[in-house]
Amino acid sequence: MNPGRSYPKMLILIVIAMLVLGTLATLVVNQANRSRSRIPMLRELTEFELIASHNGEPAGPEDLKGKICVYDFIFTSCMGPCPVMAVNMGELYRLYKGSGKIQFISISVDPERDTLEALNEYARLQGVDDDGWIFLHGPIEKVAEICEKQFMLPAEDLPGGHTTKFILVDHLGRVRSYHDGLSDSSMEILQNNIRQLAKELP
Amino acid sequence: MRAFGRFAIFTAIATYFLIFMGGLVRVSGAGLGCPDWPKCFGRWIPPVSINQIPAHIDAATFNLTLAWIEYINRLFGVTVGLLILAVAIWAIARYRSNLRIVIPGVLAALLTAYQGWQGSQVVSSGLKPIIVSAHMVIALIIAGLMIYISIQAYYRTRTDSGGKYSKRSRLLTGILLFAALTQIIIGTQLREAIEITFSEFPLISSTEALSQSGGLTYVHAFLGIIIMILAFITSYKLLSRSPSPLVWQSGWTIAGLGLLQIVFGIILFLAGIPPIARLLHMWISALLLGVVLITLFALGHERSAG
Repeated sequence: MNPGRSYPKMLILIVIAMLVLGTLATLVVNQANRSRSRIPMLRELTEFELIASHNGEPAGPEDLKGKICVYDFIFTSCMGPCPVMAVNMGELYRLYKGSGKIQFISISVDPERDTLEALNEYARLQGVDDDGWIFLHGPIEKVAEICEKQFMLPAEDLPGGHTTKFILVDHLGRVRSYHDGLSDSSMEILQNNIRQLAKELP
Repeated sequence: MRAFGRFAIFTAIATYFLIFMGGLVRVSGAGLGCPDWPKCFGRWIPPVSINQIPAHIDAATFNLTLAWIEYINRLFGVTVGLLILAVAIWAIARYRSNLRIVIPGVLAALLTAYQGWQGSQVVSSGLKPIIVSAHMVIALIIAGLMIYISIQAYYRTRTDSGGKYSKRSRLLTGILLFAALTQIIIGTQLREAIEITFSEFPLISSTEALSQSGGLTYVHAFLGIIIMILAFITSYKLLSRSPSPLVWQSGWTIAGLGLLQIVFGIILFLAGIPPIARLLHMWISALLLGVVLITLFALGHERSAG
C-alpha cells in the first residue's frame, strides 16, 4: 500500500492540534474571565494630610496604607443628603468593625463650623466608638483640592454642593471604585467590592 | 523548489494558527485589550502596571490579561505577515516566470498589509461586527492563497499522477466549496446578529439570542447538515477512485471535519454558545475550506498532469 494512504495523517494532526489549542484556549478564556471580574485601578492617591478629629493628629493616605479605605465628604450641619450618607456609612462601619481591615474616612467640607469638637460630637451621634471611622478636618481650599485633584470629584459651592459619592481605595492607596452614597443598591456593590479587595490584602 | 514549497506550507500552517489566535482574541473578549493601535496603551511593550498608563487613556480600561492576549495576536500577526512577505519575495526572486506562484504570492503580501491596517479599524470601530467579519474573511482569502501557492510548489516537485476521478468528483468538490463559502458567510451573519442582540440586551440568554436571530439559525443548521452529507459523498467518491496520497488525505479530512463541524454546531446550539466551541467551530470552518481548496487544486493538477 502507498505510504500516503495508510492512515489519515492530515485529519489526525488537525484533531491533535484542535485538542492542544482547544485546551490552551480554555485556559486563556478562563484567565480572561477571571481578570474581568477584578476591580479596575483608577488612580493612585498622592499624599495629603488633614487633622483627624479623634486624636488631633495629621492623617492621610500614607498612614492609612494597609487598610481598605472608604472615603466620603460631609459636613455636620448638613440637612440634605448627609444624614442618609451617614446612615449608610454607619451601617458599613458596624458591619466591618470586627475585621479591623476596613477604614472609613469622612472629610468635612465645612471647616469653619465643623471644629474638631463638633466632628467628635457628630461621630458620637453616629455611634462611632473606635478609630475605624475617622473624621478629617482641614482648610477649605485644601479639602476642595483633595476632592477635585485626588478623587476627581466636583467641589463647587462647598459646603452645600459637596459630592455624595463614597470612594473605595485599596490597601495600596489606589482609587478602585465610586459609589452613590444615597443608593442602597450602590451600597451592595460597594460591599461586594470590599469583599473582593479584601482578597487582595497581603 | 522543494525548499520553497516547504516554506510555503509552513507559512500556510502558520496562517491557520494565526486565524485560531484571532478567534481566541474574539471569544476571550480581548479585542479591545489595547485601546490604541499599533501600540498598546502608548507603549511598544504593553504596560504591566497601572502607573504606566498615559494620562490621555482612561486607566479603568486597563486589564493586564486582555492587553497581553490582544498584543500577542498582533505580534503573531506581524510574524506571519513577514513570513508571507518572505514567500512573495522568494517567489519574485526565483520563480518570476511562474505566474501561478508569483501572482498569488504578491496578492497575499498586499492583502496581508491591508489586513494589518484593517486590524486597526477593528480596534478603532470598537469591534463593529461587520468589520470583525471582514477581518476574518480577509484572513481566509490569505490562507487560501497560501494553500494555492503550496499546492503549486508541491506538484512541481512530485509527479503524483491522478486517480481516476470522474468529472463528477470535481464538480462535487466545487459544489462543496461553494456551499462551505456560503455557510461561512451565513455563519458570520449569524454571529453578527447574535452580537448585536447581546449589545442591545446584555442580559439575554444565549438561547434567546439565537431565537432572536430568527430564521438565520435554522438556515445555518440546515445548510450545515447538507454540507456534512455533501462532504461524506465527496469524500467517498474521492477515496473510491484510487486517489493520489494528497487527495486520499484530503478526502478523509473532509469527511472528518464535516462531522466535527456538525458536532460543534450542536454543542453551540444546546450549550448556549460556549466560547471554546465557538472558537473551534470557526477554526474548523476555516480548515474545511482549506482542505476543500487543496482537493480542488490537486484534482485540477492531477487531471492536467494525468
